[in-house]
Amino acid sequence: MRVLDCGTFVAASHAAKQLADLGAEVVKVEPPAGDGTRARGPFPGGTFDPEASGLFLYLNANKRGITLDLEKPESRPVLDRLVAASDVVLHDVAPDRIAARGLEADRLLELQPSLVVTSITPFGLDGPKSGLRAHDLNLWCAGGIAFLNGGGPAAADLPPLKVYGQQAGFQAGLNASVASLGALLAAQQSGHGQLVEVSTQECLVSILELAFEHYPYMGISPSRLGRKPIQPLDFLQCKDGWIYICCVEEHQWRTFLELVGSPEWGEMEIFGDRLQRGTNWDALEIFLNEIAAEWTVEELYHAAQARRIPFAPVSTMGDLLASKHLQARGFFATVESPRGHAVTVPGAPYRHARTPWRLRRRAPALGEHTDEVLRHLGYDASELERLRASGAIG
Amino acid sequence: MNRTSGTPPLDGVRVADFTWVWAGPFCTLQLAHLGAEVIRVETAGRPCVTRLLPPWPDGQPGVNRSGYFNQYNQGKRSIALDLATEAGLEVARDLVRTSDVVVDNFAAGVMERLGLGYEACRALREDVVVISLSGYGATGPEHGYVSYGPAQVPLSGFSSVTGYPGWRPMHVGISYGDPTAGLHGAVAILAALLYRRRTGEGQFIDLSQWESTMTLLPEAILAETLGAGAPERDGNHDALWSPHGVYRCRGEDRWVSIAVATDDEWRALARLALPDLEGDRAHASGVGRKANEAEIDRRLGVWCAEKTREDVTEALQALGVAAFPVMDARDLHDDPHLSERGYWVELPHDEVGVRRHAGIPYRLHGTPLAVHRAAPCLGQDTSAVLREILRYDEARIRALQDAGVLR
Repeated sequence: MRVLDCGTFVAASHAAKQLADLGAEVVKVEPPAGDGTRARGPFPGGTFDPEASGLFLYLNANKRGITLDLEKPESRPVLDRLVAASDVVLHDVAPDRIAARGLEADRLLELQPSLVVTSITPFGLDGPKSGLRAHDLNLWCAGGIAFLNGGGPAAADLPPLKVYGQQAGFQAGLNASVASLGALLAAQQSGHGQLVEVSTQECLVSILELAFEHYPYMGISPSRLGRKPIQPLDFLQCKDGWIYICCVEEHQWRTFLELVGSPEWGEMEIFGDRLQRGTNWDALEIFLNEIAAEWTVEELYHAAQARRIPFAPVSTMGDLLASKHLQARGFFATVESPRGHAVTVPGAPYRHARTPWRLRRRAPALGEHTDEVLRHLGYDASELERLRASGAIG
Repeated sequence: MNRTSGTPPLDGVRVADFTWVWAGPFCTLQLAHLGAEVIRVETAGRPCVTRLLPPWPDGQPGVNRSGYFNQYNQGKRSIALDLATEAGLEVARDLVRTSDVVVDNFAAGVMERLGLGYEACRALREDVVVISLSGYGATGPEHGYVSYGPAQVPLSGFSSVTGYPGWRPMHVGISYGDPTAGLHGAVAILAALLYRRRTGEGQFIDLSQWESTMTLLPEAILAETLGAGAPERDGNHDALWSPHGVYRCRGEDRWVSIAVATDDEWRALARLALPDLEGDRAHASGVGRKANEAEIDRRLGVWCAEKTREDVTEALQALGVAAFPVMDARDLHDDPHLSERGYWVELPHDEVGVRRHAGIPYRLHGTPLAVHRAAPCLGQDTSAVLREILRYDEARIRALQDAGVLR
């Protein structure tokens, strides 16, 4: 499978990463100034270096990289030859720039009729808001998830809260990889490619859990200001860090009380069931924090899990990297940066018994494979020189 | 662009769906969206958790009335089967025999105990693709641990970096690990189907929800491994871009998001909202603006406070600045953009009537996708599946009914 990644930031790069991780040959197309994620970091020791940006290194491992300025007319024949040799083209170019970069689906499908062209945009390719600009924060708000998160009824002055990271981009990328693989299966069967259109806002509305349906079913718009109806389902502070306690079922609550040596609480009426524990959480939380303060996170986590109570540590990044469980599964992998830094990155979340995931190559330096890829397409040295002089390649 | 209108990609693919709650059903929802025939195996004695949770019309509970279940099981069929009986397990085995894909999201080992682990499935159908989306994965010292959706968020590291500055770790608003694992599961299954088409071979896929969620935290994890220091909880701020926040507008709990990524966007914003800062050199770069972020936030808050979020959005978008209202469920439900795009699914359901559900977020222009029926009532398709797919005769179905196996 040959994939052309014309992503500009997170979304399409993340979709192409899924395919690269599954063994596809992916060529990442960057403008001569470099992909947007090269400027994002995190950087080794905190020092800016476009060849060592963590987000870029993570999203683009297992890909080769070329520079090609799609806005320059001289680049068009190169793009077209690349497209003709591809099964999938992925991009996240804004609707009003698609034609300027030569990425119109109709045109690409003329060049390669079995091509899958996947276009990820903030709000889709049509509709009254399709022309609006949006960064990740705006999309997280447009998808309705931010409205659900905050400090509860006592913190009404604080705004709806986003999640850490470029999550709108990651979600759009995952949806795009699902849809693209589906379209690829169809293309293999029928010989016909097609345009796959992904709206990031719609991806996020599709993961509102039970929040969205509250409106059509009950006329309610859930918000961060609501009190949690059932408890305990919350954060407590242990001796050495935070733990998340979770007693959804009555037996989990009773077993927890036995574990911490306070079975008498199970008899107290104000904590009689999970709804009452929700109503009276302010009082209960104080007691539970006193108990938690006597435990370390690891002790309480493993002791609870040994009794099948689904507690979890509030993992720091250091905790994740040190986890014996994740080490035993070989989850983290190490890859070099083009500068030679050894970088530990999350591996693949799935293990195919027959076709195991591998880190085959590090992320490319800017333009590392331009000559290699273009020569393979038939360009000779003088043509490469002409393209370089025109600014079409870096 | 509708040059072809073929059948959807997974037309003819059958999925035996042993999942429940959210992660697993969200995985099989993607397969249903792509045209697969997804058959959920349910048990009346222990219905899916989402059947027991709100929202319900008129606040009246009922296993077929939950909007949560009905959202994530659109387009699927449901059979009711008592898997505690040998006769029930035999029906399940017959279903596996005729399925291309088997999916579960129980804790590791549960399918093996039911006699439906990968080796058993493979004995029933040589080229079957089996995926288990367990909380911790099928191996490793904690593989038997219990995993609930809300606990995956702190476990995977999201809570330690999400939150208001100076506050405790926080949640993210949804059980974020669940849909993420569901999507990764769909990717893994589609890849296995591509491989099967090429080689004729099925395989087992071990997916860990915990690992799936962590793959979306590369910036925080790499900050640690690159020696840049793990990020602090910093509300709606961004490490580099500024301003970057959510500001209160006119109305009750109405807010707008504004995000500035480039210096050009900043100048456009400043010209309109903070004109004295437009040409100010101290604010010309992201680094400079980060240094004065609290004051910029305060002043933007004042600027937004008397305007509606729609007015702020319109004024800033006209200048090329990314601004958008913070949407709630009603806003989304009534949004003309989503309606005009045909995003919603509104199909008749026996117990809740016609209600609006979130649709398919990806459009395949050549082989259009659609949800063809509302989520099933519990066991709605038991007889039909046993008769039409498993080829049981009426007498056999009746005997199973009489023995109490089909519930």
